Amino acid sequence: MATSTTTTTPFTFPPTYNFPPFFTPQPNSTTRHSQLQKWSSLIQSWCRHHRTYRLSLVDAVDSPLFHNAALRKRLDLAEARAVVDWMTKKEEEEGGGGQRAEWIEGASAGGNAMPKSVAWIWWRRPEEWADVLVDWIDATGQRGVVLTVFELVQGEATVSQEFHGMDNDVMMKALNVLVKRGKASVFGNEGEEGVKFF
Amino acid sequence: MSRRGVGLGAFANRTQATQSFATHGANLRSTHTASLQTQLSVFQSLLHTFALEHSSTIKSNPTFRAEFARMCNTIGVDPLAASNVKGKNGRRGLGEGGSFWTQIMGGDMNDFYFEVAVRVVELCRDTRDENGGLIGVEECRKRVRKGKAIGSGLEVSEDDILRAVRSLEPLGSGFSIVHVGSKQYIRSIPKELNTDQATVLEVIQMLGFVSVSMLQLNLNWEKARAQTVIDDLLADGLVWLDAQGPEKEYWSPQNLLDDSG
Repeated sequence: MATSTTTTTPFTFPPTYNFPPFFTPQPNSTTRHSQLQKWSSLIQSWCRHHRTYRLSLVDAVDSPLFHNAALRKRLDLAEARAVVDWMTKKEEEEGGGGQRAEWIEGASAGGNAMPKSVAWIWWRRPEEWADVLVDWIDATGQRGVVLTVFELVQGEATVSQEFHGMDNDVMMKALNVLVKRGKASVFGNEGEEGVKFF
Repeated sequence: MSRRGVGLGAFANRTQATQSFATHGANLRSTHTASLQTQLSVFQSLLHTFALEHSSTIKSNPTFRAEFARMCNTIGVDPLAASNVKGKNGRRGLGEGGSFWTQIMGGDMNDFYFEVAVRVVELCRDTRDENGGLIGVEECRKRVRKGKAIGSGLEVSEDDILRAVRSLEPLGSGFSIVHVGSKQYIRSIPKELNTDQATVLEVIQMLGFVSVSMLQLNLNWEKARAQTVIDDLLADGLVWLDAQGPEKEYWSPQNLLDDSG
């Protein structure tokens, strides 16, 4: 996988992962729905464990996430795509997984651009990350202080925080949510943005 | 009456005799009833004291509770029938008209079974999508014991679960207990399993999964019959399909329950 693995403890798979039919799309629609929910929560906790923000399906189909070597079962690319596609849909209107994923347009896989091959996995959505940031700012009394985005993501002060080492694009998305809410302003050139919280 | 009465007087004699027999019978009956009543009231008060004395054990120890309930059943006190009349004077305890459990334990026992019933209903609803509304009593017990939040687990026996499900019956909820092979299941969608379906579920219980050819070989079924039963089970969501092996395999989702996803 493209993103580095920061955690050393092995990921514990849920019991569903050892259930052979889990890897076959279920013909019964009710069962299918339950299956998609289970996949969605598995993908989210996997990505959270490995601090993966963008998931490249082409790479992931050969990782343990989609390939259970012990059972010799796997979720193929088309099927993995169907699951992630379901995750991108809204829960009420489209009967999907509550926007826990988002396709990254124009992302290339192996040189040639392929639609629906890389996706953000939102184990926390940008709005939720924004809340986490605000909580941290409040807890450390840094309202009105100017910080660089680099400091937020890589600085020593945030090492204990969940957003430390976060994907830069996700951080910018979260900050933009705050800008829209009127809780922060972002300035500076691309790559060296600063941010002020109020 | 050493000699047989003759003449008209004999008729009067016979009526007299019958009458005195009747009165004697009535006397006997009333003393008998009286002594039975005393016995019963003594027993009830003993049961009362016993329940009060051991109320904490009854509440916390599932085996003890089951034994106690069985004892009540034997002497004709049905704790469940009593539970269903839980009403206006629920908490006030010893008042007349309250249920059996309410009278002896201040409503705690009612609440206990209702709580278990609520957990069971919740669990059945949550897992209906994955198991088609059929859940093993044992699996159900494990989940109720674990609880959803920290500290919300309930120490229950299978007997408690069964009682709780039966206590739902008057509500017309469609919850029922079905037997498949040696196992008991809670059926939360009112639908009958036919014999073939039950047989296949029993086979899955033993082997973990089935395929059409396994059914053909082991049960001597024709292919069409095996396929129909499996298709029906699949349509009801009672089995999951694994199509990645050499032959399609059908698995029971009963073991998925530990997964809270």
